[in-house]
Amino acid sequence: MIKPATTYRAILVTLFLACVLLPFVQVLTLSLQATREHPGVLIGDFSWVNYQNIWLRPELRASIINSILYVLLNIALSIPVALPAAYAFSRYRFMGDQHLFLMFIAFRITPPIVLSLPLFQLFAQLNLINSVAGIALAHCLFNIPITIWILQGFIDAVPREVDESAFIDGYSLPRFFLKILIPMIKPGIGVAAFFCFMFSWIEVVFARILTVTSGKPISMAINALFGFTTDMGLIMAMTIVSLLPGLVLIFFVRHHLSRGFQIGKM
Amino acid sequence: MLPALSILFLVGVIPLFTVVNHSLHDIFTLPEKYWVGGEWYQEIISSSRFWHSLGRSTFFSLIVLSIQIPLGIFIALALPRRGVLVSVCLVITALPLLLPWNIIPGIWLSLINPETGIVGRLMQSAGIILDWKFNAVHTWIVIVMLDVWHWTSLVVILCYSSLSTIALPYYQAAAIDAASRLQVFRYIQFPRMRSVLLMVLLLRFMDSFMIYTEAFRINAGGPHFATHFLAIDLAEEINAFNYGPAAARSVVYFLMVLCVAWAFKTALFASEKQKVR
Repeated sequence: MIKPATTYRAILVTLFLACVLLPFVQVLTLSLQATREHPGVLIGDFSWVNYQNIWLRPELRASIINSILYVLLNIALSIPVALPAAYAFSRYRFMGDQHLFLMFIAFRITPPIVLSLPLFQLFAQLNLINSVAGIALAHCLFNIPITIWILQGFIDAVPREVDESAFIDGYSLPRFFLKILIPMIKPGIGVAAFFCFMFSWIEVVFARILTVTSGKPISMAINALFGFTTDMGLIMAMTIVSLLPGLVLIFFVRHHLSRGFQIGKM
Repeated sequence: MLPALSILFLVGVIPLFTVVNHSLHDIFTLPEKYWVGGEWYQEIISSSRFWHSLGRSTFFSLIVLSIQIPLGIFIALALPRRGVLVSVCLVITALPLLLPWNIIPGIWLSLINPETGIVGRLMQSAGIILDWKFNAVHTWIVIVMLDVWHWTSLVVILCYSSLSTIALPYYQAAAIDAASRLQVFRYIQFPRMRSVLLMVLLLRFMDSFMIYTEAFRINAGGPHFATHFLAIDLAEEINAFNYGPAAARSVVYFLMVLCVAWAFKTALFASEKQKVR
């Protein structure tokens, strides 16, 4: 049954997607052009020179690796830590759970800039400045609450009987997590990892304030490229590169993203 | 529960107390502090600049939310439900979310550049001149456009994911009852989206209320403070090493955050109760 509304919907969606893509078209065309003179290429010519330059400049390569490292570390930190908490929120009613919940929301929405200064001082004392671990830890501030939320939604969908029968079968709590719960909520972990990745990858304030001399993430490396003689092409090429890891990840979780998760059910 | 709490304690609670402590002192260098009590707070509350920034930020959030949320719901409803196209649409939709914030202004500035940008050239040939550097209204338009472009996707993805939890029989039942499109939305789709919408509202409100990176990059709060938002005020204090006033400002902002979080929690639990009934 084809309704007239279907065409109208298709037009709407196409229009929206086109608007979303438009800036990327701009980025892509600029990144494939020589916007400054390089040996052998004229300005405005089509060339891969910008991408070659990323590869040739050690600080750009390092920044990509830094970014990937701290994001991975952040995911590796957030998910194991959030999983038991999500389980507790899902299964038990305990004293102060509403207050804890309030605290989690408050930390999630606190703008990083509010805490940036004291966090810098604290991390300076702990020797975490300029290190990938420092950024990863700082990003836990907003990623742990989000992860707890998402995982809780998925754990809620697992019937209580599963836990009970596992405990009757003599599973200990850690073993129950490893053997039964985690395999059951795999999609949830994927979605949580995606959101952790996203929020950590794009965060700028902590990433800037915690890297003074080295350990710069990709966003700061792009910042440093703006100058008197800005090579727009190089910046745009870098932007495209910064999109790639996200694209890979979203490709893996695309089905789960649409399969649906209920957040906010506490 | 314990590990999560201990990390949040380290990166959240300790810095918060440090900030409160700083906010009550006059600090020249960190070891030299003088107790000044509530002086900084008085200064902030009585300064007209603070209230103007607050007004601007609130206004900005209102505009952005009133565009993003209806648009996001609209698109989420229109996206296809099944088939290969779903993945394609979702991946494209998610693209803007994957860009680091500080790059986005750069992209937009080059997009509206009248010489090299796609939109810029189009507008020039149409005779529209977008003077985002000196015309306050134009700066606002650019920042709002940018934020809408960047974040509508989040609304779309979250709404879409909650919509896709509605089983087909609901729609079939509605079709049998000859429910109108509006009724389907009102009684089937909207209730399902409610908790997610609250979440989106919260995230988007706070992020736009405290917008910093994007707005700063476009025009550094100018022209004539027309886009001087709350977070830009704070960043200026920090960059000038005014630890005391900066900390006091942080505390004021955190209190706002706490109010919003509390309102959100109350609304959420209220909607949960309704669902149980």
